[in-house]
Amino acid sequence: MAESLNKISGTLLPQFNRSDDEHLNPYYTFQDYRQTWGMTIFTLMTTALLPLVVMTLIYYQLIETSINTESLLRTERLASNARRAVTFFLEERLAALTFTVNEMGYDQLTNPNSLAEVLRNLKLGFGGLTDLSVIADSGTQVTYAGPFNLEGKDYSNQPWFIECQQHNACVSEIFSGYREVPHVVVAVKSMRPDGRFFVLRATLETERMIQVLSSYKTGEHADIFLVNRNGLLQTPSQFYEGASHQVNLPVPAYSDRTKAVMSTDHSGQPILIGYAFIDTKIAPTSFILMVIKQKAGMMKVWLDLRSNINWFFGISAIIIALVITLTSTVMVNKIFQADRQKAETMVAAERNCQLASIGQLAAGVAHEINNPLALINETAGYVRDLFTIKQQYKEDPDLVEHIDSIIEAVERCGTITRQLLGFARHFDVQSQPINLNDMVADVINFHKKEAEYRNIKIQVNIPETIPLIETDRGKLQQIILNLVNNAFQAIDNGCFLDVWAETVEGDEQVRLFIRDNGCGISEDHLNKVFEPFFTTKKEGHGTGLGLSITYGLVKKLHGNITVQSKTGQGTTFVISLPVKLKEEIHV
Amino acid sequence: MKHLDILIVDDEQRYADMLAKRLGLRSLTCKVCYDGQSAIDIVREESFSMVILDLRLPDLYGTEVLTRIKQCRPETPVIILTGHGTEKDREQCMANGAHSFMNKPMDINRLVTIMADVKESDRHGRIAE
Repeated sequence: MAESLNKISGTLLPQFNRSDDEHLNPYYTFQDYRQTWGMTIFTLMTTALLPLVVMTLIYYQLIETSINTESLLRTERLASNARRAVTFFLEERLAALTFTVNEMGYDQLTNPNSLAEVLRNLKLGFGGLTDLSVIADSGTQVTYAGPFNLEGKDYSNQPWFIECQQHNACVSEIFSGYREVPHVVVAVKSMRPDGRFFVLRATLETERMIQVLSSYKTGEHADIFLVNRNGLLQTPSQFYEGASHQVNLPVPAYSDRTKAVMSTDHSGQPILIGYAFIDTKIAPTSFILMVIKQKAGMMKVWLDLRSNINWFFGISAIIIALVITLTSTVMVNKIFQADRQKAETMVAAERNCQLASIGQLAAGVAHEINNPLALINETAGYVRDLFTIKQQYKEDPDLVEHIDSIIEAVERCGTITRQLLGFARHFDVQSQPINLNDMVADVINFHKKEAEYRNIKIQVNIPETIPLIETDRGKLQQIILNLVNNAFQAIDNGCFLDVWAETVEGDEQVRLFIRDNGCGISEDHLNKVFEPFFTTKKEGHGTGLGLSITYGLVKKLHGNITVQSKTGQGTTFVISLPVKLKEEIHV
Repeated sequence: MKHLDILIVDDEQRYADMLAKRLGLRSLTCKVCYDGQSAIDIVREESFSMVILDLRLPDLYGTEVLTRIKQCRPETPVIILTGHGTEKDREQCMANGAHSFMNKPMDINRLVTIMADVKESDRHGRIAE
């Protein structure tokens, strides 16, 4: 599990996050790969996701606008239908009363029996009536038919009676009155033959009106009710009843048409309010019909759909983000790898360039020394010839010895100049099969005494499976000798030196490791150790050419040398050599 | 025509003289010259068993001298003896018919051995004739 997580993070996170080759930094094309990576992802994400987000938002806006319009329209239609029903309910009864007063007249209506007869007929024909009464112009109830005993009551101060006097007909608000039961009064005025007027009044059951209204109620969150112009509830409201039967919504401004508006309720929930001021053809009323719908309820289908769209959008965005991150990581990694390779090549080229210049210098010095050296050689040779061929001074064996030592010294100088020349050129490479184990043993042998004396443990582990290497014996010996010398200088008494080897690349290369646990090389110096004249030793104690010459020699043998080191922990030199040296020019 | 054993061509006069002396001690007759043109002129006039030729000469480059000598006397072996021969020089000289290519300072015995070989093959050649 942890392994697969690592793998995923390895794919998603770029490799330069873990890179620590600071010496390569000056050679990179981009200064900050982390930033490049971040910018790539940001740019791609913005390009890919921004239009998607904008389109989605526009789409949401459009849908919501159209749903709002549609909702308002529906609410308005509902309010309009309910208004018609209520208006019709009231008009029907007003018309019946008007017909009755005109048909029967005051005398007949004041007869209690015939009034009871009329009430019975009206109940049969229309229903919804509780009682009937005739009220004289003084406001006194003259005749009454119905369940309550209200004869003789004075209505002259009742608002409906006053209104009826003015408008010939009226519809009251819902009120309790003398009977202490909520009811609505509808009344029509008529003239007696003597010129005085009387009023026929009917009490309507509020239940019927509530029934009519609630038949228009649609949905759980819808509410439909009547209020008067002061906001007092006339029929019960399921959700919007405030203190003392007052509706807890603002009373809409007067309009002769049905309207619908958006608003919020007392708890801040968005609602749609449809309203209509109810007026009958016969008499005006103070009723306002209100239809309230919760917007959330009407939007539910859309909200569900939107949640699905949001999910779809979210998952798509995550997939896009993943793909973009993955692609960016792969691309930036590829660029980074290429750039890193370039930087490594540049570092190597710089090193080679420095080595080449020291090579040229060495060659120049060697040339200049070679000629006088040759002259010394011939002169000394001539003196020697005088001894051996002409047999002069034969009594003086000492002199011959001196001459021999001059010639020997010249030979040694010759070897050095040849090697210096070889530093720059492919000269004197002689290929022969070499047993690495024997060679390492030979070299270690030089240091045996010193190791014993300094109590240094030398461990050599070169398996027998390592093939014979075809290469230049002298050069390889010098390489190993240089590195072992180097190690001996770096380690303190009592430390150890490990030498081991392995084959790589299908037995075509041999890798030789020389590891010590000495003082190590600091990170600053690590990339300079192969540079000519680079030394950390005190002046006069080292030329700084040892590792640089070793590097040149390894290159000449078509090999490679690398170094790993940590200050205080030791150093490992790794030499890779081809098992078979490509055919070279030999002298 | 006078026959000499060896012609030494080297701009370092003292070196050439010393070499001639040493070879003289080994019973080899030598002639010395210090530049390319006179070497070519001398070879035209006289025949040698062997020519020892330096590459860096004041007037002509050694390879040029080698070519001219070989045109004139293809049978004469030429040994290149130089202090600073590059690999390219060596290849070029061997391709142009040099007998061998040696670096300074050298062991005179090697030169003597080569000389002996040349004389030997020469004698065989004459016997065959």
